[in-house]
Amino acid sequence: MTLEQYKPCGTLDHGIGRRQFMGEFLTGLGAVAGTSLFSHPLGATEIAQKNKSVVVIYLNGGLSQFESWDPKSDLETGGPFKSIPTTVPGIRISELLPYTAKQMHHMALIRSISTDLDDHGLANNIVRSGRTTRSATEYPELGAVVAKNLERDDFPLPGHIRTMVGGSGGRTNNAAYLGPRYASVSVGAEKGGIVNTQLPDGMTVTADNRRHDWRRFVNNRYRAKVQSTEIDAYLQCFEQALRLMEKRELFDIAHESKAIQEAYGASEFGKQLLLARRLVEQEVPFVEISHDGWDFHHNNFEFHYHYVADFDRPFAHFVDDLHQRGLLERTLVIVMTEFGRTPKINAGYGRDHYPNAWSIAMAGCGIQHGAVIGKTDAKGIEVTDRKVDHRHLFHTYLQAVGIDSSGEFEIGGRKFPIADPAYGPIEELLA
Amino acid sequence: MNDTTPSPPTAPGKFDPKAAKQISDWAHDAKLLCCRVDPTGKYVVAGAIDYTIQRWEIATGNKTPLVGHENWVRMLGFSPDGSTLYSGAYDGRMIAWDITAQSPKPQRTIQTHQGWLRGLAVSHDGHRIATCGNDMLVKIWSTADGKLIHEMQGHPYLPYCVQFVPGSCDLVSGDIMGLVIQWSAEGGTKVREFDAREIASHVGDRAPFGGIVNMTFSPDKKRLTVTGLHKCSNAPAGNRRAVAMSFDWASGEKLPKQECNQKEIDATMWRAVYHPSGTMIGVIEKEIGFWEGGNIDTVHLAATPEHIFDCDLHPNQVDLYTAHFDGHVRCLRCGTI
Repeated sequence: MTLEQYKPCGTLDHGIGRRQFMGEFLTGLGAVAGTSLFSHPLGATEIAQKNKSVVVIYLNGGLSQFESWDPKSDLETGGPFKSIPTTVPGIRISELLPYTAKQMHHMALIRSISTDLDDHGLANNIVRSGRTTRSATEYPELGAVVAKNLERDDFPLPGHIRTMVGGSGGRTNNAAYLGPRYASVSVGAEKGGIVNTQLPDGMTVTADNRRHDWRRFVNNRYRAKVQSTEIDAYLQCFEQALRLMEKRELFDIAHESKAIQEAYGASEFGKQLLLARRLVEQEVPFVEISHDGWDFHHNNFEFHYHYVADFDRPFAHFVDDLHQRGLLERTLVIVMTEFGRTPKINAGYGRDHYPNAWSIAMAGCGIQHGAVIGKTDAKGIEVTDRKVDHRHLFHTYLQAVGIDSSGEFEIGGRKFPIADPAYGPIEELLA
Repeated sequence: MNDTTPSPPTAPGKFDPKAAKQISDWAHDAKLLCCRVDPTGKYVVAGAIDYTIQRWEIATGNKTPLVGHENWVRMLGFSPDGSTLYSGAYDGRMIAWDITAQSPKPQRTIQTHQGWLRGLAVSHDGHRIATCGNDMLVKIWSTADGKLIHEMQGHPYLPYCVQFVPGSCDLVSGDIMGLVIQWSAEGGTKVREFDAREIASHVGDRAPFGGIVNMTFSPDKKRLTVTGLHKCSNAPAGNRRAVAMSFDWASGEKLPKQECNQKEIDATMWRAVYHPSGTMIGVIEKEIGFWEGGNIDTVHLAATPEHIFDCDLHPNQVDLYTAHFDGHVRCLRCGTI
């Protein structure tokens, strides 16, 4: 089949998007089929502010709520760590978070999350998509939804970025029906930021410009004959990749002063946070940082002792740095995980998966600072007040950055609710 | 320095690991982390996660709580004459108790470390106590007045345990990454190091895993044995194997590791003790292993109903007391009296 013969059917199952193509450009990896671009952006009136950003810090594996946001000190289920006061009177968090405790006046806690999936993959999916998938329909993740709503047409950077350590590349089809334009692009926080973005040895800028001019000429001639969203996606991809190359220094944290780098710390996590701050300064709509390995079925307390320490100081500095630079007023920071850990301490002094009653933390714009939503019982076994789940949270995240979560996407002639229409935001948390 | 450990109150029994059977089972309602038998053989004590120490009179099974700590009780040690119990806990405190009292109360409480106290040992003459903790320090205290004698820095990672060198004032401390340091207890200076990194693991760049959880010396004082885990394939899931690693004390050379190859068990060897015959007894999850004469594998495994986190040998040299996850202290008679 030639390209001239190919006419896209317009279903959601075909096509290759520019983000996907760009991912290959960045990594040299093989293609994974994406979806085509049939979506139409929401009207500008539905978006409160376009320059807002969301930063998700994903603690992959299941952070223990006992060793973080909902400590139950001096009880059988509570473990050996005590609680400490924070800058908000009455709010106490684990002693493992002394630096974060000093930023609580910028934060809010939700201590009454109850979901029903204790499998990592499934739970990961529901907390990211805000849906409980019981059919073949796949839903876009928060990053794609935010990018779709907040990305400006002239924006030179990807709207949905995941930072990673040790280089760049790789992408996931996490935009579902929104199409690959809104799928995440992974970039590194190491020196140089993005791999494969330097011109090859011997290639001058002039020569490079000439070949791009030639490519555009050929593309435009072909484009004049063939109507194809795939071609559009390729063209967009090339151009955005070029813009990204021009902006490559944004992704290189070595451009920050030594003092700033030291303040964020030498850990992988600290470097990613510093990169995230640089991207927020550029008004990237959505940035996700992953902090992996929290699945402590064994040795939970020793591991949390080290892992939470690795999280605490860089995270607290990140929140403070955003605040000092005036960025926290337009940035929502979410410390997300897929479920909590069991109140019961197992025989390996670990905690197992526990979706029944767990917590997350948020900071920044659109939320009531110093708020604590919901309660668990004395031992942390059940939610006793204001039970919420991933669907409420999804609405809340969107509303906090000015996105009307009750709206719809119109894609390929079909309407898709932005968030689960049977649920709504946690109103009392919203600012 | 003279070793003033008293003679056993009763004649030693005949040690026979293969004849091991449970003879007592006493319950507490909180998980137990540690246990010790007093040198006179009258009591067994255990530290619990409800912040208490439980004392059982061995003859009767009568239980008495010792209340004073404010976090998990992690380590216990007796004075050589058995009159004083020293306890260390995650509250960073060491408490001295008159264990012979009907209802023991704290006699002296010392804030030994910032953060958790992890290791505690009483010197063989009873004059000193060594501790280590989350502040990365190893400290030596006077039992006479509770004053700090030495404070030693040198472990690059968390020190987990301490032990006095038999017949000496010197001390060894072991850390989470497998470094053992011998300290001169007189001057508090480093004498030498032993490399036991093989029994330590690491999760990414964030968390060490394993390390030296216990140290002991062989009865002939020729071997320093450290215990813990190795062959870790998935630390957060607890996939690892129990191991004891020994050093020739004179030369510092590594000796063959002791493992449990006859049965695959995901385990940490939380403690090993030596029987006077030279047989090493180690607790590995729900099992008690016996290694004879430095052999690399067990000659016998004795099963118990629950996970074991500590053990101690009664002065009669055949009764082994174990502290379990289910809150029970059990006694396994390894031979005949």
